[in-house]
Amino acid sequence: MPAANVAAQVRTSLASLKAGDLQGAQIMEVLKLAHQLTDTMKLFFSSLDQSICQEFNYIAEYISRTRDEIAALRPNDIKTQRIPTAGAELEAVVGDTEKATETIMSAAEEVLCDDGEDFAAYRANVEARMMTIIEACSFQDLAGQRVSKVVNSLRHVEERVARFADVMGVRDADYAPQEETAKEKRDREQLLNGPAMGGPETSQDDIDAMFSAMDTPPVNDLDQGSIDSLFD
Amino acid sequence: MAVDMTMSILVVDDYKTMIRIIRNLLKQIGFENVDDAADGQEAFAKMQENKYGLVISDWNMEPMTGYELLQKVRADEGMKATPFIMVTAESKTENVVAAKRAGVNNYIVKPFNAGTLKSKMSAVLGDF
Repeated sequence: MPAANVAAQVRTSLASLKAGDLQGAQIMEVLKLAHQLTDTMKLFFSSLDQSICQEFNYIAEYISRTRDEIAALRPNDIKTQRIPTAGAELEAVVGDTEKATETIMSAAEEVLCDDGEDFAAYRANVEARMMTIIEACSFQDLAGQRVSKVVNSLRHVEERVARFADVMGVRDADYAPQEETAKEKRDREQLLNGPAMGGPETSQDDIDAMFSAMDTPPVNDLDQGSIDSLFD
Repeated sequence: MAVDMTMSILVVDDYKTMIRIIRNLLKQIGFENVDDAADGQEAFAKMQENKYGLVISDWNMEPMTGYELLQKVRADEGMKATPFIMVTAESKTENVVAAKRAGVNNYIVKPFNAGTLKSKMSAVLGDF
């Protein structure tokens, strides 16, 4: 019997008991009511068990899928290999660049300091320093290769994280925005944006123009004499 | 009025290479008396001890930025007239406007060359 019908019968039986004299109620009527209640409860609990079971199955499946996806993400590989290697490569790039800059600048300074009194010696010095500068520029090749490795590592991490987020249905909007850190606050307040990609965001010419424009008093700051001169 | 070529110039940058580049450029322009500091805090301390004819400062430094240094210099009675040129990779319009409002005399965006440095110095100090 469907649960709705059983419930309707229970309500009818209860109504009839309430309407009659409860003191004189027949034991059979009470037993009938108890039986109907048991049926109802049985139906209720069986449906409850089934839905809980389905929920647990879904959760188990989800956990299993998540575990598989985390394994595919290879977090230990990213944490212990790719990120540290990328960091070391970038540090090496900084080191190579510093070393090359030091060599190039020292060579240039030596040329600048040469008084050139003896032309032949001056020429030999300039040629030797120029060769030193040319040799030092080979750092660019190494730096390029190191940066390419870092880019590949970043791409690897990006692909895996994107796939994980996609499979798990993670959306940024699902989470509250992170609280601003002290460093982020300082960067915002101090307008620390860093170098723009692909050259300055505002060119030197535009900056010069802004300085000229800001040096010119705005119209509402003109004195009466200047205003009058506009109408002459 | 002629520019005093013996005046002391303070270069503020957290990259030693950049300080070295600016020193060399200044030397080529004719200024030999150059001091340096690694951030705004060190620069401000040096400015309390010495008098400089010009400050050439980077923006992005720790713990005190060039922008903070500029504000402190302009708020200090004894230093507020010191010419101040910002030399920085911060090239957003908001940075230029903020620096100008804080009282910077000129603004050079990195990378730059000796010609740009000289022309901005001339605009601030007069022809030399």
